[in-house]
Amino acid sequence: MAETERRPSLLESETVVDTDVHLSPPFDELAEYMDEPHRSVTKYPTYTPVNRGGWNRYMGGKIETEKDVVRSADTLYEKICVEFGIDHPIINAFPVLTSIPEDDRAVATMRAYNDYLLDRFLDEYDEFLGLCTVATQDPAAAADELDRMATEDSIVGLYLLNSGAHPPLGDPVYDEIYRTAEKHGLHVAYHASAGAPFAKDFPVQDAQFNRFLENHMVAHPWAHMLTMTSLVVNGVPAKFPDLNFSFLEAGYGWVPYMMFRFNKEYAMRRSEAPLLSKTPEEYVRDQFYFASQPVGEPNDPAHLDAIIDVLGPENLMLSTDYPHWDFDHPDALDKHVRRFGDDGARERILSGTAIEAFDLPI
Amino acid sequence: MAGEDADAGEAESDAGRADGSGFGDGHVVARADELADGDRLVAQVRGREVAVFRHDGEFYAYLNWCFHQGGPCCEGVLSGTAFATYDRDTGENDLRWDREGEILNCPWHGWEYDLLTGECLSRKGFTLPSYPVEVRDGDVVVAL
Repeated sequence: MAETERRPSLLESETVVDTDVHLSPPFDELAEYMDEPHRSVTKYPTYTPVNRGGWNRYMGGKIETEKDVVRSADTLYEKICVEFGIDHPIINAFPVLTSIPEDDRAVATMRAYNDYLLDRFLDEYDEFLGLCTVATQDPAAAADELDRMATEDSIVGLYLLNSGAHPPLGDPVYDEIYRTAEKHGLHVAYHASAGAPFAKDFPVQDAQFNRFLENHMVAHPWAHMLTMTSLVVNGVPAKFPDLNFSFLEAGYGWVPYMMFRFNKEYAMRRSEAPLLSKTPEEYVRDQFYFASQPVGEPNDPAHLDAIIDVLGPENLMLSTDYPHWDFDHPDALDKHVRRFGDDGARERILSGTAIEAFDLPI
Repeated sequence: MAGEDADAGEAESDAGRADGSGFGDGHVVARADELADGDRLVAQVRGREVAVFRHDGEFYAYLNWCFHQGGPCCEGVLSGTAFATYDRDTGENDLRWDREGEILNCPWHGWEYDLLTGECLSRKGFTLPSYPVEVRDGDVVVAL
């Protein structure tokens, strides 16, 4: 992404929260936050310490990535807060922990990511908020990590990579994580991933697809559909009524379909989800939130508004996914809301919904 | 990134002022010998970012603004792209890589544009705004 300062931000006077901003820690720097033997494995990996698959992710160099920008708090602040007009980025370290084969190394890497995020970013700017990464391979260690990190004011939630998390994340083996999150008032954010984590859930498809476009098209919605299904059928939102959950990186077009299908299926098979005391749609509307990126691009822009209307601005939050190759400039959503929405809807989508979902101190 | 920034804001062209033949206001963006074949530059012209490319001896000038999300599309990689056909009679699939050096890729999200026409390949119906460009007395002059 070349310089973009030529466009004055339309978001200067509004409060804007970006719910999905990533870091890209160089592994040798991350290793400094780890003890042996994991430090050396991270510094001297077999291929790469965190496998992301061999797909042609960056189009053979046709597109730029700005990973250097997210390697210092100052450059991230300049890009996100100044140029994009974001008042509060909610930053995750973008750990791909489900790709780490050794469970104990995943736990060590989890702690390193969190310390790196705090030390290098969250401690540098009051505007920065962050998500505590947890490793799904070891729920007890994940709960301990939440206890450790929850004392930090800048930590507003936890980050769960749902792609490649086994069993699916509504399973009672994860109750310890959810119980601890609820105890500390932490929001639960799920983030999906294409490539290697996708391959853990869908190995046949990953092997048989022949283009990354196919992999990336279905990776995020499939992961979120899997997670939403597992959460609701296992009654996680009913078991932890004070928890809120969000789904990052798949937009929101998939949500109406799931809510309505779920109502139908649940009504037919109620006895398989006996913890529920209301319809799946009500659980989704009451406790689930959705980050906007990637904003869909229907040929008729009015169709996007129809989907937002069904979901409602109460459950929709702006996100950019910066600095990843498929990021959305904040204007991608805002220009749409300015055209079709009212001021109240715009305020909810730009910040109000995120403030409610994450119980932000702003 | 190929090319260099140039500021034509203060460089009102002698050619433009002397002209009036329908070329519009001419803005000198470079000396022609500063722009080798295959090069490009991005100039500020009357408040807009205009990219000038030299390709196979011809000059092309486009607005540096991607239809998708406003990215600096003219600063992206020039490459070829994939074309495919399916022959319904023989059942043969044909995939080929062609137009090397003539496809402009927006560096933000990879939207493709035809360097020769400005036509967007990624979504039909969009064409990059283009500007007349010519060489006068050794200057590259863009009309805007």
